[in-house]
Amino acid sequence: MILLRLISWPYARKHLLRVVLTMAGIVLGVAVFVGMHTANQSVLAAFHQTIDRIAGSTQVQVSSGEAGFEEDVLERVRALPEVRAAAPVIEAAANTGQGNLLILGVDMLGDRSLRNYDMEDSDEAIDEPLVFLAQADSLIITKTFADERHITTGAKISMRTMQGDQVFTVRGIMKPGGLATAFGGSLAIMDIYAAQKVFGRGFKFDRVDIALEDGVSLDAAIAKIQALLGPGFQVEPPSSRGQQFEATSSIYALASNLTSVFALFIGMFIIYNTFAIAVTERRSEIGILRALGATRGQIRTLFLTESAISGLAGTALGVLFGIALAKGMAGYISGLLSDVYGVAQGASEVTPEPWLLAAASAMGLATSLIAAVLPARSAAGVDPVKALQKGRLQSLSAGENRTRRLWALACAMASAVAFLFSNIGWIFYGGYLLAVLTAVLLAPAMSLWFAKALRPVLAGLRPVEGTLAADSLIQSPRRTSGTITALMLSLALVISLGGLARASYDSLTEWMQIALSPDLFVTTAESITARSFVFPESVGEGIRKVEGVQQVQFVRTVRVPVKGVPIMIVAIDIASLANHVKLPLVEGDAATMYDEAEAGRGVIASENFARLHGVRFGEVLELAGPAETLHLPIIGIVRDFSDQQGSILMDRELYIRAWRDNAVNVFRVYLKPGADEARVRQTILDTYGSQQRLFVLTNKDVRAFIIRITDQWFGLTYVQIAVAVLVAILGIVNALTVSITDRRRELGVLQAVGGLRNQIRHTIWMEAVAIGVIGLGLGLALGAVQLYYSVEVARRDLIGIEIGYAFPFQMVLILTPIILSAALVAALGPAESAVRGSLVEALEYE
Amino acid sequence: MITLRGVSKTFEGKRKVTALDHIDLTIERGEMASIVGPSGSGKSTLLNLIGGLDRASAGEVELDGQTLSSLNDDELTKVRRDKIGFIFQFFNLLPTLSCLQNVSLPLHLRGWPRKKVEARAQELLDLVKLGARVEHLPDELSGGERQRVAIARALSIYPPILLADEPTGNLDTNTGAEILKLIHDLHSRLGATVLIVTHDKAVAESCPRTIHIRDGKVFEDVRR
Repeated sequence: MILLRLISWPYARKHLLRVVLTMAGIVLGVAVFVGMHTANQSVLAAFHQTIDRIAGSTQVQVSSGEAGFEEDVLERVRALPEVRAAAPVIEAAANTGQGNLLILGVDMLGDRSLRNYDMEDSDEAIDEPLVFLAQADSLIITKTFADERHITTGAKISMRTMQGDQVFTVRGIMKPGGLATAFGGSLAIMDIYAAQKVFGRGFKFDRVDIALEDGVSLDAAIAKIQALLGPGFQVEPPSSRGQQFEATSSIYALASNLTSVFALFIGMFIIYNTFAIAVTERRSEIGILRALGATRGQIRTLFLTESAISGLAGTALGVLFGIALAKGMAGYISGLLSDVYGVAQGASEVTPEPWLLAAASAMGLATSLIAAVLPARSAAGVDPVKALQKGRLQSLSAGENRTRRLWALACAMASAVAFLFSNIGWIFYGGYLLAVLTAVLLAPAMSLWFAKALRPVLAGLRPVEGTLAADSLIQSPRRTSGTITALMLSLALVISLGGLARASYDSLTEWMQIALSPDLFVTTAESITARSFVFPESVGEGIRKVEGVQQVQFVRTVRVPVKGVPIMIVAIDIASLANHVKLPLVEGDAATMYDEAEAGRGVIASENFARLHGVRFGEVLELAGPAETLHLPIIGIVRDFSDQQGSILMDRELYIRAWRDNAVNVFRVYLKPGADEARVRQTILDTYGSQQRLFVLTNKDVRAFIIRITDQWFGLTYVQIAVAVLVAILGIVNALTVSITDRRRELGVLQAVGGLRNQIRHTIWMEAVAIGVIGLGLGLALGAVQLYYSVEVARRDLIGIEIGYAFPFQMVLILTPIILSAALVAALGPAESAVRGSLVEALEYE
Repeated sequence: MITLRGVSKTFEGKRKVTALDHIDLTIERGEMASIVGPSGSGKSTLLNLIGGLDRASAGEVELDGQTLSSLNDDELTKVRRDKIGFIFQFFNLLPTLSCLQNVSLPLHLRGWPRKKVEARAQELLDLVKLGARVEHLPDELSGGERQRVAIARALSIYPPILLADEPTGNLDTNTGAEILKLIHDLHSRLGATVLIVTHDKAVAESCPRTIHIRDGKVFEDVRR
């Protein structure tokens, strides 16, 4: 401890900038880790809180995916002696004249036994449920929503419903608290029978909420209700909801984990570099300590403790930045999810959980300690006699480590072997790790090789400065290899993420070209993914008769549980689909696939459903609808981007039979050759738009919407890319700062023997740019390899789609000037400090 | 000719320290002189001012009629590179460069072609009897050998002025004597002005002139 105070603290104080730069890698890694997880967890926690608040005292919920079920289910459930209360619910997001609302359609007669409606003012509509029921335009809103928009009881709110534009009257305002705080207050209550009409539900409910009699076991009740209703229904506690939400946000969690691990890994090299240089710089100090009786163990401990303190300080700062990041990210994630769920789920509290703080501290500390192990060992090995001889070993030792190259070779071979068996998950990931390790081990040797290759180029540009810059890199490879490795890793990450994004866009564009062939899409919302409102079939029949329309495909998309996971069912007339769209086939025979699916003898699975959920071609799936449980084989696997978790295509007739649901989400409209698209669109709008909620999107609109959604999803990727570029720049600044300090005397000698200031400046600049060039070269090479692995990770565990390998040349064009300019800018400060310092001091030994 | 007129050097800090106090001194071209004095007397500071490594707080330092205080940093560097060769007590060789590369450095900085640089460096290393060790790194040499490399580097452009700060201070007696002999030899062969800062009485007395510095002032100037 005393050594820490007497030796380490003054050194750290003297090199404050270096200490800060060294910690930056840890700060960034921890910040990303804490930030992204906290944001994710906060949004998720808020979502669960919302579910709890909406559930009230509900113990069990009955649903049939998103498809809904007939009203008689309610009576059947109510008849059970275990059930104390059962209330039907319709839950849907809607945009109103006053903003987006989650509308809860409830039966006021029975619902108050489940949910507490604590109203601002006593109102007869609420006090007397029959009155509320009798007035179909009634709406209860929350105090938060009302206050934000200065709405009072009696105010009118307009909404486009499935029965045309309607005006609703606010008949009650709920006090803040409980139910009224769900979705940040963006919630409204409507009578269930009115909701059926508003959302086009026909005579169906979305779910039934149940409270059990006292003393009834939850498990027993669930089993009994399940037995009563059959496998087509999900009977579960309210807490089971939100699976889809969790699955969506878990993709974020995985992606953010990868970024933070990478940032920390890169930070490790920055720390290693700094400590390695510090050990060289402090050799005489170590020699004195050793001469005064400090043991090797004490020296090692001293350096490791310094590293631990730096790691913990970096972690603490990282946590603070992470919380700030989380606040921004929570808004971003909830905004993104609102596109999927209709209503924004704000996170009221953004605080990291204790386990997250513990994990972040452990990561920060471990990274810092691992990075310092080798320098600490080298410090402990310092020979006091040699260290005290002035003028000896003042720079990092030159020369390459043969053992390291042999290890690299071993890792490369092991990685190649792993490649052969990469169909086994853990071997694949092991091979990936070994490939990165090979690059890390080879980086110093490759840097040296690159520096030698660059020597004539640099010398050609500026004979004196170029030669000196190249020689500096060649003669002290260890001084810069840490930075080059960090730069290489950062750029590899950027390339792989960029390549992944590029390839995803390419695949998506290709898919859109094939799958989105209709000329017009008639939907219930501006967004093609919104599923709150549904059409009756009659609308489609009408559209068929519009002049210029050749064909109309009725599409129903609902999420239903398949193998315990909510999966999107796309029910469409397969024969008609096959006429217009040949989805990219991954497995199976196209002709047989469409024929069998049309005949209802099988279903078509999307590639991502198959991969993410371990489903194989030919496997028989159990698809349980309220009316019938289907057991159908997968007769084909196709590339389909309809849903992140995957989708199942089945014939519409089959779906209607099993789910007793003939509602439609989207009509895909094909026009006759030569038909005027704008005219047909207007006719549809004129004929049906006034009667009900209806939007007609052109093919271009839908594509633009999908690209916009995809852009939002890739927003995180761009954050990751920004982090990686930042770490790369940080690495260069760090390396040059420590390198200049390390070479203060060397640069002093250069000036003493006649080096002009500009020559010194140019030498440092060229060296920095050369570091950038070498880092770029190695980063691009590793990036090309890493992109392969990233594409594989995406295919196996992230999106389940084989998106193809496309090296992002465009990104390289953008990245090259950024990195080289960053290197040059990073060199400006150190170069100035090198030429402006006192020559006499630089040449002094004490 | 080196001329110092009323040269003072003070260091500002918590306490103001006057290292040199109104020094007037003239050293003729081709002269060889030693500068002696106790530690902290200002000998090295005097050498640094003459060599243009540092600037005087007051007074003028003139080399061949050129006033150093009027020069900017680049002009001062050019003076160093064209007129002065430095020999340091701790050699100040670049540890990652070979002997040949260390000696070549000042020539590269002048932008000489590579072949010419290498030929001159080889010639100088031969001169200091290290012609067979051109590829060795400083760490692979003894103290005396390292100082010889430093001397070869200082001589790379055959400077008219050679400044040596304790050139034998870090060497044993025999090696020190050898280096001193080499400096004398080079002085007589090349005819350069040589100034040697030293603590060593033998080194000081080997020079025809010895300037004694005490408390920042010329205390005694002895010619033999």
